[in-house]
Amino acid sequence: MDVWNLLLQGFATAGTPVNLLWAFVGCALGTAVGVLPGIGPATAVAMLLPITSQVEATASMIFFAGIYYGAMYGGSTTSILLNTPGETASMVTAMEGNKMAKSGRAGAALATAAIGSFVAGSIATVLVTLFAPVVAEFAVKLGPPEYFMLMVLAFTTVSAVLGKSTVRGLTALFIGLALGLVGMDQITGQVRYAAGVPELLDGVEIVLVAVGLFAVAEAMHAVMFEGKVIDTENRLTRVTMTVSDWKRSIPAWLRGTAIGAPFGCIPAGGTEIPTFLSYAAEKKLAKGANKDEFGTRGAIEGVAGPEAANNATVTAAMIPLLTLGIPTSNTTAILLGAFQNYGIQPGPQLFSSSASLVWALIASLYIGNVMLLVLNLPLVGLWVKLLKVPKPQLYAGIMIFATVGAYGMRQSAFDLFLLYGIGILGLIMRRFNFPTAPVLVGMILGPLAEAQMRNAISIGEGSALIFLQRPMSLSILVVVLLILIVPRVLKWHTERLR
Amino acid sequence: MRQHAPATHSPRLQLLVGLGVVVLALGLGLGAYSIPSQAGYAGVGPNFLPWVVSLALLACGVRLVYKASRGGFPDMEDHSGDHPDWVGFAWLSAGLLLNAALITVIGFVFSCALCFVLVARGMRLAQGQPVAWRVSLSMDVLVGLLIAAPVYWAFTKFLGISLPGLTQTGWL
Repeated sequence: MDVWNLLLQGFATAGTPVNLLWAFVGCALGTAVGVLPGIGPATAVAMLLPITSQVEATASMIFFAGIYYGAMYGGSTTSILLNTPGETASMVTAMEGNKMAKSGRAGAALATAAIGSFVAGSIATVLVTLFAPVVAEFAVKLGPPEYFMLMVLAFTTVSAVLGKSTVRGLTALFIGLALGLVGMDQITGQVRYAAGVPELLDGVEIVLVAVGLFAVAEAMHAVMFEGKVIDTENRLTRVTMTVSDWKRSIPAWLRGTAIGAPFGCIPAGGTEIPTFLSYAAEKKLAKGANKDEFGTRGAIEGVAGPEAANNATVTAAMIPLLTLGIPTSNTTAILLGAFQNYGIQPGPQLFSSSASLVWALIASLYIGNVMLLVLNLPLVGLWVKLLKVPKPQLYAGIMIFATVGAYGMRQSAFDLFLLYGIGILGLIMRRFNFPTAPVLVGMILGPLAEAQMRNAISIGEGSALIFLQRPMSLSILVVVLLILIVPRVLKWHTERLR
Repeated sequence: MRQHAPATHSPRLQLLVGLGVVVLALGLGLGAYSIPSQAGYAGVGPNFLPWVVSLALLACGVRLVYKASRGGFPDMEDHSGDHPDWVGFAWLSAGLLLNAALITVIGFVFSCALCFVLVARGMRLAQGQPVAWRVSLSMDVLVGLLIAAPVYWAFTKFLGISLPGLTQTGWL
């Protein structure tokens, strides 16, 4: 069957009233979560992971994808209207968006963000539709050595490339790997690091770590350090764009998409780099009066480009997740956890073994984008009201949902104590600028990488040279080394020139 | 606007974090030592990755300690206030830990409502809100129950996830 037929079947599955309802609830919830400060898509999906024990796989994946997507739309609303940067992805939007809102153009900024997200999301979904099956076909040929090397690549990029300090990134990664070690070893059944606690034999739940690191740590940070911080809100104006706004936005959307989509496809982690690149590109390309608006009155290109780049990256990140089973961000790491709860291992076989699920999920991305455009353009005023929720009730409410997520997974009060402990860990990491994405990626991917490594060495009859003997795994290894070495050499070189 | 206080992350605190990582690494190493190797065909057994992780963390910890002793990381960001509000933190901790201790005793709804009240109280204290505490307390109890109860019903009745109740009815 060709892609077109498969996609149509996907639409048939995703278009049933029940699945449409799940998509709608997901999108609405995602937007709310994106708008509310203190809770992001990764936390929201993690808190709702317990539903995987009851809800059917296709419905819950559509639901989670809706949250994942919706949060991106909602996040831009907050970053434009509220002078508090939420997650890193919307930080760039906040730079120009805030300036536009301050000079009374909040409506235009919101419009270009929402429509840009829609355009980029749709184009990237087309790319997912076209390329994911191709990548999957190629990935079938990869063996354990190649997979192990790909995972090492993901570990390297997520911990060493992102953020300012390699040491802190690597520390976070190894803490994640250590968390992943707890419990029974997949291959031999040997128990590791359970310290005699029966609850730990099954390992640490991903929900617990995600909710602890984000929701609980966020609340702790807010109560300890942000009590006296006063947020100010910009006035919402009519959500429309003038002809000149359109003329300036359209090329920026397309450039943003072109920059963002490739970054989603490679395991390079995160939206920081593409959004910043897009911002820099727009600033450089702007001419005359438009250029002067950057950093002063707020330039619409500076919102349109990064927003598009953000959504394109987020959508294209579905390609490595679905075809290789490699998550490149917090949220995709948790989506991978959701698949695992169903006993489904994303990877090249997914397209043959769970074809209907995959295509329904891809179809729901198209549907979700349309829903979100409607939810975010005419109804933006509704979401803005969420910004009025006072902080004490907001964080206290989030703690109730954190309890549901952490307790609901295994029905164990022990997990709630562990949640507190992970919250403290998250607080320390946040306070001392350790990135958190490597913890989650390390924890989820760690056990898989270990299994691949041991299988690979078995294939090599006990010799680790197998990683060097296969051309594909050798080339990925070279890429990993380049990523680690090149930036250092460049830095050393520029320092010497001075 | 968010009011950023000047950055004064003392290198001493950073040193403590680095030492914490070293201690963690040593603990993990001790654990790795007790895991049998049973390598089998793979040549590497279940104790291989624990060793790798322990040694790598040790290296990271040593590096962190080294950097901290040389004046600390220069590029720390996100400093919103430098005096931690321990009172607020204590209320929040009490809320979370009591919730963990009581959830199976008094049920999800009451335990979570209690957690809500304590966390909200901590946040209010941190904000220094001049609200009459009786008013805010009764409000918080009400709002806490109004959130916890529907959440409980939604998850137990519609999604079939079992959460602990005070009674067997599934409504409380």
